[in-house]
Amino acid sequence: MQDISLHLLDIIENSVRAKASLINIEVIREVMRNKLEFVIEDNGTGMDEETLRSAQDPFYTSKVEREKKVGLGIPLFKQNAEMCNGHFVLESELGKGTKLVAIFQFDHVDRMPMGNLQDTFVGSIIGHADVDFEIVLKNIKLDSSVEDFTFSTRAIKAELGDIPLTYPDVMTYIDQAIEEGIKKIKMEEF
Amino acid sequence: MKTLEGLRKIREKAQQDMKLRSSNTRIKVVIGMGTSGIATGAREVMKAIMDEVANRSLSDVIVTQTGEKGLSSMEPVVDVIEDGKPTITYGNMTAEKARKVVAEHVVNGKIVSDYVVTSE
Repeated sequence: MQDISLHLLDIIENSVRAKASLINIEVIREVMRNKLEFVIEDNGTGMDEETLRSAQDPFYTSKVEREKKVGLGIPLFKQNAEMCNGHFVLESELGKGTKLVAIFQFDHVDRMPMGNLQDTFVGSIIGHADVDFEIVLKNIKLDSSVEDFTFSTRAIKAELGDIPLTYPDVMTYIDQAIEEGIKKIKMEEF
Repeated sequence: MKTLEGLRKIREKAQQDMKLRSSNTRIKVVIGMGTSGIATGAREVMKAIMDEVANRSLSDVIVTQTGEKGLSSMEPVVDVIEDGKPTITYGNMTAEKARKVVAEHVVNGKIVSDYVVTSE
């Protein structure tokens, strides 16, 4: 993965595969603590302790049906965070869901760029129209003031009724709404 | 800022649109978004397809994603699924190829055989 937004997309796909109906995503830039934090939480099937341990092991995958038994998504994300003086926590409970927290030192020389958050979010929302997404982008400045942006697919779906998210004008609407939010928090520059 | 008011207008337009049709989904385009798909550019392929569908106002097309299907060496892959027809799988996709698939296959019903990896 060339950037963090691609890691995020990969993690979102994990949540979808775990049959999540709701995925909460938070991206927090905290200037004072020099950190960039990602929280992805789902209400999917979750993992037992052993699976949770092996999910962080590069030689494990949950996709039993396929020949290649090696899943690299989570281990690579973990490695990238830890390499940047960061932190990585994966918590899960069977039947409840999974929570992943990845923290990067913001100005670490090896930190990957944010990449295209807009395409990650819009692609996931449209590509998994039956899953709800709650996205929060937050910029906590030096003086502790907060700039934030929240996007919820539930409000949009309630408004749309039986019109699908893939209806052309709706896709354009969602794309523009996410773009505006990312620009507001200036996350395209991270 | 985008408001929900804007959505209401879209819904009214869409409802008019749907009334005129017998079936709401004519064709489904599925992008493989597993780890190896993502690493080889599946997100850009998804983006290109969404753009084409939006710009051409293809309101009877569903764009969706799936996980890996064991075609890792041919990622990114895209399935085009139409009722009563064999599913066509395109492989080694790029944004540019994906745009061509929308223009030729999805819009005009002409399979782009150069990019096809399986058909069943």
